[in-house]
Amino acid sequence: MKYLASLALLVPLFAAAPVEFNRDIRPILSDKCYTCHGPDPGHRLSSLRLDIAEGAKTAIAAGDPGASKLFQRITSDNTGKRMPPAYAGKAKLSAHEIELIRSWIEQGAQWQQHWSFIAPKRPGLPAVKVKSWPKNAIDFFVLNRLEREQLKPSDEARSAVLARRVALDLTGLPPSPGDLTLPYEALVDRLLASPRYAERMAVRWLDAARYADTNGYQTDGPREMWRWRDWVIDAFARNMPFDQFTVEQLAGDLLPNPTLPQRIATAFNRNHRTSAEGGIVEEEFRVEYVADRAETTATVWMGVTLGCARCHDHKYDPFKQRDFYRMFAFFNNVPDRGLVYNFGNEQPYLKAPTPEHERMLAELDGNVAEAEQHWRSLQPALAKAQRTWEKSLANAEPLDWTIEGGQVVHATPKPSTFDGQRVVEVGDAPRFDYLDPYTFSVWLRPSSPNGAILSRSEDYWEAPGYMLLLKNGKLRLHEGLRFTDISLRLETVEPVPLNQWTHIAVTYDGYRKAKGVHVYFNGVEKTTRVEFDELTYPFSSSQPFRIGAGGGLRFTGEIGDVRLYNVALTPQEIATLPLRESINAIAAIPESERTEVQRDRLTFCFLDRFAPTELREARNHLIGARKIRQKYYDAIPTVMVMSDAAPRESFVLKRGAYDAHGDRVTPGVPEVLPQLAPGVPANRLGLARWIVDPANPLTARVIVNRYWQMLFGTGLVKTVDDFGSQGEWPANQELLDWLATEFVSSGWNVKHLLKVMVTSATYRQSSNASPELLQRDPENRLLARGPRARLSAEMIRDQALAISGLLVEKTGGPSVKPYQPAGLWQELSGGGGYRRDHGEGLYRRSLYTYWRRTVTPPAMALFDAPTRETCTVRETRTNTPLQALNLMNDETYIEASRKFAERMVAEGGASAESRIEYGWKLALLERPAARQSAVVLKALRQFEAHYTMEPREAMDLLNQGDSPWNRSMNPAELAAYSGVASLILNMDEVVTKQ
Amino acid sequence: MNELTRRHFFGRSATGIGIAALASMFQDRARAERTGGLEGVPHFAPKARRVIYLFQSGGPSQMELFDYKPKLREYAGSDLPESIRMGQRLTGMSATQSSFPVVPSRYRFQQHGQSGAWVSELMPHTARIADQLTFVKSMHTEAINHDPAVTFLQTGSQIAGRPSIGAWLSYGLGAETADLPAFVVMISPGQGGGGQPLYDRLWGSGFLPTRFQGVKFRSVGDPVLYLSNPPGFSRELRREYLDALGELNRITAAEFGDPETNTRIAQYEMAFRMQASVPELTDLSKEPASTFELYGADARTPGTFAANCLLARRLAERGVRFIQLFHRDWDHHGNLPRDLPKRCRETDQAAAALVTDLKQRGMLDDTLVVWGGEFGRTVYCQGRLTESDYGRDHHPRCFTVWMAGGGIQPGLTHGETDDYCYNVTRDPVHVHDLQATILHCLGIDHTRLTYRSQGRDFRLTDVSGIVVKALLRA
Repeated sequence: MKYLASLALLVPLFAAAPVEFNRDIRPILSDKCYTCHGPDPGHRLSSLRLDIAEGAKTAIAAGDPGASKLFQRITSDNTGKRMPPAYAGKAKLSAHEIELIRSWIEQGAQWQQHWSFIAPKRPGLPAVKVKSWPKNAIDFFVLNRLEREQLKPSDEARSAVLARRVALDLTGLPPSPGDLTLPYEALVDRLLASPRYAERMAVRWLDAARYADTNGYQTDGPREMWRWRDWVIDAFARNMPFDQFTVEQLAGDLLPNPTLPQRIATAFNRNHRTSAEGGIVEEEFRVEYVADRAETTATVWMGVTLGCARCHDHKYDPFKQRDFYRMFAFFNNVPDRGLVYNFGNEQPYLKAPTPEHERMLAELDGNVAEAEQHWRSLQPALAKAQRTWEKSLANAEPLDWTIEGGQVVHATPKPSTFDGQRVVEVGDAPRFDYLDPYTFSVWLRPSSPNGAILSRSEDYWEAPGYMLLLKNGKLRLHEGLRFTDISLRLETVEPVPLNQWTHIAVTYDGYRKAKGVHVYFNGVEKTTRVEFDELTYPFSSSQPFRIGAGGGLRFTGEIGDVRLYNVALTPQEIATLPLRESINAIAAIPESERTEVQRDRLTFCFLDRFAPTELREARNHLIGARKIRQKYYDAIPTVMVMSDAAPRESFVLKRGAYDAHGDRVTPGVPEVLPQLAPGVPANRLGLARWIVDPANPLTARVIVNRYWQMLFGTGLVKTVDDFGSQGEWPANQELLDWLATEFVSSGWNVKHLLKVMVTSATYRQSSNASPELLQRDPENRLLARGPRARLSAEMIRDQALAISGLLVEKTGGPSVKPYQPAGLWQELSGGGGYRRDHGEGLYRRSLYTYWRRTVTPPAMALFDAPTRETCTVRETRTNTPLQALNLMNDETYIEASRKFAERMVAEGGASAESRIEYGWKLALLERPAARQSAVVLKALRQFEAHYTMEPREAMDLLNQGDSPWNRSMNPAELAAYSGVASLILNMDEVVTKQ
Repeated sequence: MNELTRRHFFGRSATGIGIAALASMFQDRARAERTGGLEGVPHFAPKARRVIYLFQSGGPSQMELFDYKPKLREYAGSDLPESIRMGQRLTGMSATQSSFPVVPSRYRFQQHGQSGAWVSELMPHTARIADQLTFVKSMHTEAINHDPAVTFLQTGSQIAGRPSIGAWLSYGLGAETADLPAFVVMISPGQGGGGQPLYDRLWGSGFLPTRFQGVKFRSVGDPVLYLSNPPGFSRELRREYLDALGELNRITAAEFGDPETNTRIAQYEMAFRMQASVPELTDLSKEPASTFELYGADARTPGTFAANCLLARRLAERGVRFIQLFHRDWDHHGNLPRDLPKRCRETDQAAAALVTDLKQRGMLDDTLVVWGGEFGRTVYCQGRLTESDYGRDHHPRCFTVWMAGGGIQPGLTHGETDDYCYNVTRDPVHVHDLQATILHCLGIDHTRLTYRSQGRDFRLTDVSGIVVKALLRA
């Protein structure tokens, strides 16, 4: 059945032409024969190869089908001899396929290299009979074909229909009413110049680039990549030439003196999913990420299924497994890891401030500088005031003082002795977690080299929580959730002396890394040996804070003054902690004889407790300004980027297994394609330039084909993601090649290309299909009519927001969380769940919707948006009852319908007829036909009658959604119009580009 | 027009751009009993017409539940010998442990029924129906972590992106109802509340058209997303609304001649019918008291495993093809003696009740029930080992699933593991073999249910999978 259906299309299409190997024969051989007689030697079951001319010749007698072994075998009555054999699981060749092969052999069995691996040549315009129809080159190719098929093009679509079509295609939103007054070409120019254009173009690119706001595996933690998304929007807005667009995303970091935007661009190949699942084998996943980069790059730019060669040589196309791993090698030098951080970006990443961030940061830097300046200017006054104070200490009570700012625990065990069993529990101590800075300060006199000093954790070795221990005399810090893989552990090189008092301090800056931990003995920093540095997960323990216990160990010796701070004290501050002499005693020392530490201690004490208000305020102001600046800086978004910092060796991986190294390979492009020019570096930059080299046979074709798909619903090559043997022969190769060469010669000008497409007579045709035409060409591959297709997921929502007036148009920024049914996140993964936005976040265009890969935004998923788990370039459209339920019942559309209704009532005149007409025009830009109007009017009357009787139901309906309803309107009337508005938004015509 | 649309659909479905959907998962009630599916599928006479898959997410411990290993008492505390481990990779969570002490199960085992199947005291209800079940103790997988392992069981590939088993069946067989989807998923969290997350893609359609993906029936809010009319919009108004919408769309269909418009009209009507049929389905108030005695009191609480088991039976009665339950929180790295019995209490009675209920209703013969997780657990202790506490890490080399009904020979115990419950010693069953066997029960040759994507014919079992004939009822 399936085969018959495609034949019905093929026969009339190609009956007139002579048999051509690439178009007619290769697809048959590829599908039916190459599994055993193709490029993959691992699976080749015969010495006969039908994928290369030399091989095929041995089975073919050109001009004589009967004498050709190939023909004999495919037509044999003997099932034991007939090819393909039953055990291969392939259907027998159809009569039509056999006939094609027969004719081909008869006509001389001319062989061709696969069409897409030969660079396109610009074809001349073919002759057409109806010379008045074509508006540009596209139309000559289309019309020539139609005339050969004895078909006529359709009339041009009505101007309102066409304006809506082109606006949706180029901007993803319906046109503004004012746009309709423009001549068509001027309208196209205006649309292309609109900021909406860039957002629309970005959406499909985000699908291809598998862009999302979360990691995608297992717990699917958040990441921050929106600065790259905004780079894409900006690039389309500026109409960045596609070759530059390509080079910057694949290798912006390798350009000479790369700019910040050029480095942000490389996030393209960090958008792949990553795993933070504890316990994974890191290399297995790291290899997966690299493979994803190679496969995505191959699909997006080359339109080939290189991933098929990951485990073995390609079964249909001339790609060897080695080719795959040479492509893999280009992307294998990123210093990333297999097991990633679950709550943010994974290395390598960079700060990616927007201009607004930079402006604000400069302002905050200025504030800090100003505060510093002010503080410096107060130094003489400080010195003077402090001297006066010091003098006053001479006769005062002895003053003991230790740094107090940030102190959250101060405990002095009494007695101080610990006998290897005693445990002191301290209530009310903070549960420092992995992002909390802290300082531990403790006096110690150990008499055994092993023991626990303090802890907040389960009381067994390697338990979750934090603990400060002595192990073989060394001071050891352990904190984390799981000893084996989620923790931070380090110890000093030098032991803590036994049987003497030592002051110990440990500081941690709250940035998750061992390099942010510092250990001091008696105020002097000590070298540490980092044993494990994976503090990637919250670990706080509900156990009490304990002194003298932790990790199942106990302390032997004495423990004095224990202090915990919720800040990381500076080395200068730490140095003052061990000083035990009183403040008075230091003050009594002549200034010139005080040590630096004594001086600091005195000053800190004075500033903390005794300095005049003005001085303390100035100091607090400086500290505050620095904090604000740091906090702002910390919140500036980062973005994961590519970098070649860590060259790695690459290997063919046998069977694709991460740990089965085969031959070593260097970066390189597939053998069957033109090679990198001599002197071009074999790195990502060389690859990127090779991809956009005009001599590359694939890139321009693949890209123009996808834009064709975007406008016409189906690519000229329907298999937009497969230009190989198993892909579809282009429905009109000359047109494809003309577009590809036009694209390159225009300087890879995307707007130019789109303009040529949408101003063609082909695009402007009406999409009405007669039953005959539908029968003849159901998929509209011949283009005898205009495109008609359901709107994509994001367009359906964006259009409703636009028509209702709710749409908030603002370019870029962090992703937003519009309405979503409650509980969707929790039921899959627990936790706090989805917290939706209030205010404008509810009404932004859908490309800004927060995209959690494992729980895709439900309305987007229902309307076939790709899940963004892997690269997707094919557009699909299904038609299901779940979509109907969504459009009728989702809070988004109930609210939009109400706002749309308010517009009808407020702006549509006084009569029901004029209001309905107004609403219809808002949606479809033209007036309804009389009978359409009558249907809507009848529904309106029914709704009105109902809500007049049931005012409470009217209120219930109007109260949906955050936005307030217009209280000056009659609720029953407004509710009835809301029903009508919903009706319009659900109409086939409205959810369809036609 | 119908004939044209039909060809149209088949022509496009071959490349993934399924548009018209007269043959889609929901279809006009008036047509055939079966809706959707491919011609020529099933390939041969099926034993099972539907599947209920009770997925125990997290990896239940086989040696605590079904795989009785008395010798472990002798080995208790000793390090797992290298002769058993044989260099096999461990997860990053326990690979760097300083030792791998063997820990025997704390739970008592007994043989049950005429078949003499070993079941632990944690599963008393399951034990009572042992003769209805067939235990496969020699399951093994390739993945050692949850995400790849669950993905592997669901899609035949560790790397996400392929269709789930339910989507394959929805595509191949369609449903035996016009009012409900072919593939329904229900989730229960486990009272621990935590556990491994699940992902939409586990019931996704991969490269198959999205209409084949599983439809999640939820216990919070609408059972099916967006099912209810908004407040203040009654069913009567919806009827009037749909009459108007249908009329408007018929005008459009006449003007543009696009078969999609007719499909849309039908889908809106289908949506209207679902608004009635789904609440009827999920309304358990008319179930007699005996039902709740059988399934347990939990079955009265929406969102529990027990309630989902009862719903599964109701879905099966109504012709849904593939019903999959996910019960979370079987991932017992630590505190196994505290947490495992809770999961058992949450699932044991209802799972057994489902089998019993199906049998009483004469539906067990053509309903295949499968119980199991994504992998097993290690014989050695992960983390702290004390008198009262131990944990077990992920173990891919062996685990147990049970199957019942629909083409499966009852009362068997298939496959064996070694004394350490570490390696399979007899009749190994790979994940692809299990998948091939499930498909076989439904009359499908797993090598022939294929779909072309990016030039390659994909199937659930990738390039392998052997039907385990020994499990099949003659």
